Amino acid sequence: MSQSPEQYGLDGLNEVEALAMDYALGGGSRAERKAAELRLLSDHDFRAAVERWQLLLSPLDDTTPGIAPPPSVWAAIAADVTPQPRRAAAPAQLASGRAGWWDNLNLWRILGLGGPVLAAVAVALLVQPGSTGPAVPAIVAGGPALVATLADAEGRPLMAAAYDPASGQVRFAPVAGGSDAATGKVPELWVIEGQNPPRSLGVIDIAAARSQIIPRDRLAGLKPGAVLAISIEPTGGSPTGAPTGPVIATGKLAAA
Amino acid sequence: MNRPVQALTTGSAALSALLLRVADGDTAAFQTFYDRTSAKLFGVILRILNERQESEDVLQDVYLSIWRKAATFDPSKASPITWAATIARNRAIDRLRARPPRAHVPVEAAFDLADDGPAQDAGLLHGDDVRRLTAALASLEPRHAAAIRACYFDGVTYDELATREQVPVGTLKSWVRRGLIRMRGALEGSEA
Repeated sequence: MSQSPEQYGLDGLNEVEALAMDYALGGGSRAERKAAELRLLSDHDFRAAVERWQLLLSPLDDTTPGIAPPPSVWAAIAADVTPQPRRAAAPAQLASGRAGWWDNLNLWRILGLGGPVLAAVAVALLVQPGSTGPAVPAIVAGGPALVATLADAEGRPLMAAAYDPASGQVRFAPVAGGSDAATGKVPELWVIEGQNPPRSLGVIDIAAARSQIIPRDRLAGLKPGAVLAISIEPTGGSPTGAPTGPVIATGKLAAA
Repeated sequence: MNRPVQALTTGSAALSALLLRVADGDTAAFQTFYDRTSAKLFGVILRILNERQESEDVLQDVYLSIWRKAATFDPSKASPITWAATIARNRAIDRLRARPPRAHVPVEAAFDLADDGPAQDAGLLHGDDVRRLTAALASLEPRHAAAIRACYFDGVTYDELATREQVPVGTLKSWVRRGLIRMRGALEGSEA
């Protein structure tokens, strides 16, 4: 965020402001928008900047003629909507407010499609070594580190992830025995760096009873500020090279 | 055009109150919210997608999102109609991007559309801001203003616009960025 604007030719805007403006205006490619949407979930400054631009531009909507939709649209919506008591406690409380994506309740609801276990997967990215949640293996000692815990809705850890800068590897280890993850679906890990489209770090076999190691070459250049995201993909990983399924979690890499 | 601020505030407050009830699973409140906002949102979506059936699908999808996300609406950040219209725009643009490439309406057509003037149900937003912003937009270089309109109203990408205008994409982005900075300046200046 501290790069000089001239360096990027952003006409006086810094990188966050320029990307936020692009997203609010809507001119980006599909991949750029996908990357921005993922970043929105985890980067508070970026989200605030997007909201400012959206608010600034919103009066333009008043110049678009309103057009009444046919009654069939409401009929279809009404058929999908049933009165129900809504959730009581927001998961935002779990993350002490530092991770904006916790607030995105829609994320968690989307997971209703994902199967009994994945439906409730949550990830917490912790940035200080030694302050990790329960059952996280102490893989990393000293140096900038990143640890992630994936837990289900009741807070039971499903698996742990740790980025070890010494070896340049991210390790995943199941911390809960067994898994009844939805068949035909696997979590895939992505990293988003700057304004580049999401780059796959590979699928995570949540049912495997062993650590998994992401190849070193895929992690080259991984720096604080990059955003990690996990989406649910068909077995074998995304067929398109970009996230295709629901994004269940994201978090920003930060040096400890 | 000179709609009293009071009317706007009341309308916004009423929609906010409806969303609060929607967050509690109140389907009657949801239907009222739909009745008051769906024409606006459908207009936004249809303008981007330009295809009726697809726009109806997206509208349905948007309201299901509103139903699920009502609890996350924060009236201190945006008016309910801005919040809902933003969801609609983004969803429509995402749908547009997922289409196979095909011809879009030319920039000139987008320019004409934007000059139709306020819609029948205008006034859901602040009239003064609409005038200031459209005036600022109209004061830009015509090609720059047309690019901004094409992005915002029609969901055209920078790449497509650059090709159409026969300029490098960096130049196109620069037009848009400088234009929006000037529009922001016009709004901020008028508030001081």
